Amino acid sequence: MRFGDVGRLALENLWRTRLRTVLTTLGVIIGIGALVSMVSFGSGIQHNVASEFRQLELFTLIQVLPGDIDMSDPVASGMQAMEEGVVTLDDETIRALEAIPGVKLVYPEVTFPARLALDDGASQTTVRALPAAISEFKPFSELPYGRFFESDDELSIVVSQRLLEDLGIRLTDVPEPAGRAREDTTVIYRMLHSDEVLGRKLTLSTSVVDAAALMQSVARFEIPSGDLPVREEVTELTIVGILERSGGFTSLGLGGRAIVPPETAERIPRLAISSVWDLIGGGGEDSGYTSVSVRVGSMQDLDAAQEEIEALGLSTVTIADHLEDVRNAFVVMDALLGAVGTIALLVAGLGIANTMVTSILERTREIGVMKAIGGGEWDIRRIFFVEAAAIGLMGGILGLVLGWLVTRLANVIANAYIRPYGVEPTDLFHMPLWLILGAVAFAVVVSLLAGIYPAARAARVDPVTALRHD
Amino acid sequence: MSSRARVRREHPLEHILETRSLTKTYHRGTTEIRVLDGVDIAVAPGEFVSIVGRSGSGKSTLLNLIGGLDTPDGGSITVDGHEVASAHPKALALHRRRTVGMVFQSFNLITTRTALENVTLALAFGEFPRAKRRERATSLLTSVGLAERVDHRPGELSGGEAQRVAVARALANDPAILLADEPTGNLDSATSAEIIALLRELNRDHGLTVLMVTHDHEGAREVSNRVLTLLDGRVVDEEVVRS
Repeated sequence: MRFGDVGRLALENLWRTRLRTVLTTLGVIIGIGALVSMVSFGSGIQHNVASEFRQLELFTLIQVLPGDIDMSDPVASGMQAMEEGVVTLDDETIRALEAIPGVKLVYPEVTFPARLALDDGASQTTVRALPAAISEFKPFSELPYGRFFESDDELSIVVSQRLLEDLGIRLTDVPEPAGRAREDTTVIYRMLHSDEVLGRKLTLSTSVVDAAALMQSVARFEIPSGDLPVREEVTELTIVGILERSGGFTSLGLGGRAIVPPETAERIPRLAISSVWDLIGGGGEDSGYTSVSVRVGSMQDLDAAQEEIEALGLSTVTIADHLEDVRNAFVVMDALLGAVGTIALLVAGLGIANTMVTSILERTREIGVMKAIGGGEWDIRRIFFVEAAAIGLMGGILGLVLGWLVTRLANVIANAYIRPYGVEPTDLFHMPLWLILGAVAFAVVVSLLAGIYPAARAARVDPVTALRHD
Repeated sequence: MSSRARVRREHPLEHILETRSLTKTYHRGTTEIRVLDGVDIAVAPGEFVSIVGRSGSGKSTLLNLIGGLDTPDGGSITVDGHEVASAHPKALALHRRRTVGMVFQSFNLITTRTALENVTLALAFGEFPRAKRRERATSLLTSVGLAERVDHRPGELSGGEAQRVAVARALANDPAILLADEPTGNLDSATSAEIIALLRELNRDHGLTVLMVTHDHEGAREVSNRVLTLLDGRVVDEEVVRS
């Protein structure tokens, strides 16, 4: 019998027992629907994290740390490294890093505490130095307001919207996330247009130890009473750019709240300590920078560059390394989510087997007749297999539709819940092509497996007995 | 009657059907029932042979073995030059499809399909070209006198009509021999006569070889060339009615 005839017979049989076919298929639909929505949730989270990283071009970033630092115990191994005199991150190292092929930009990690003031508002925060050249990279290449630095020594500052809020200012031209307004009614903001902020002069105050005053007291054998002789240094900086309000998972302290050009930072008098690390290391220039960031041109250059940097005796950390850990965690989650859907589908498979065995009992005589008029075992087996596969295929496709509807609905509900917290609406679910094709294929395979026994049983029907059957 | 001219073979076989020392035993619990106990029969092409005998004499079993629905314990069956007794299940399916056509007492039509669909299903198993199936099935049903009833389901047909559909179906793939197992057993006498007449006509006018099992000894004598009597699994009598 030709396959077209087998298919036609199988579909006619399914149509003849419509109600049973529909109920059996419903089992598959629910199983696949559960599987698809579960897995697309896992996949969605993974997709969102990865695409956010990619959007920020973090895949091209290598964080370089001095020596062989064991990241599980950085302080202890760091101390050890310093005693043994391993490679430090000084200007010479930076030049070596810049020479590595594929490397586009190298800049040291420089942060320092400062007090920023604008009009009546003031805020104590951490200021970060980033070179003008980083404006090639996101998010600095796409500042929503103003521009990034044009040189490394201009007296400019790029501020975050968060900092402006700390200074009592809100921008009127920022699209306000719905439901956010009621969150902090006790604070009264000055509402300003971004043009009214850009170009304003902001004062940056740093504390420095007044060396002269200290020497005087030491000379007089006086123990400085009360505070150390600390002096405030004030620098005026022009606001040239405003950063996007960072949302989602990965603000990662990328920009910090305020950014100044590196040479300007150098000129700002400040305490030589910017972190605990400096205190441990004794501070100062000779111990080098705490860390250096290296940007490569593209993701393809990342691995090679990372190897070369490590060959210099330095430690590296990349987002890809972190992502690997994240991915491993997702594998476990996906497996758990997938297992729930798979169980549902296996139950549906039992339903198919049950339906088909019932159907064989009813159709015993018919099978006998088909054999008597020339039907071979192979023909009979194929008819039942196609019936099972058709249930699987229909169930798979409709299950996909059900799963999709469920994820859309869940997405709307979930976004409605998180929106008041100022989170940008995101698609929590992701349905990649492999999931779509895989789900349908899985449904068909499970159905065929469920059909093995009934098909074999149908093929073995003894025509003599079947035709006596009433 | 068929649209295809019945061309047997260039060197006609002496016997289109031949069985030798055919035995078949059924096991019912611990008891063994020897249904056939060394049956030797031979049918020449174009012959109409009837087998009569009491219930349990092994008539239907013999027909099922020849029809390839069952396999014997011993002996040989040759139909149209092919050995059937020891054939592989696949070859047996092919035998049922191409070499023999079967008609049963209880019609054995598929009740959910129309008369036409019952015939086209046999054509589908015979891998008859799909486009021509309807035409061939209609012509077969017309030739058994059912031109007006092609789209009726078996439940809407009388017993005689249903058996005519079964005959048309049995002839669908142009078999070498028609095997009829008590074709009139479920019919009243008038309808029985019609069906017997139809078989006779197919035999006489179209040269179809017919092997019929029946209770009705007298009816068999009227239409057959030979009547064989089966008793306890053996052929005990052979009567040549006309040669």
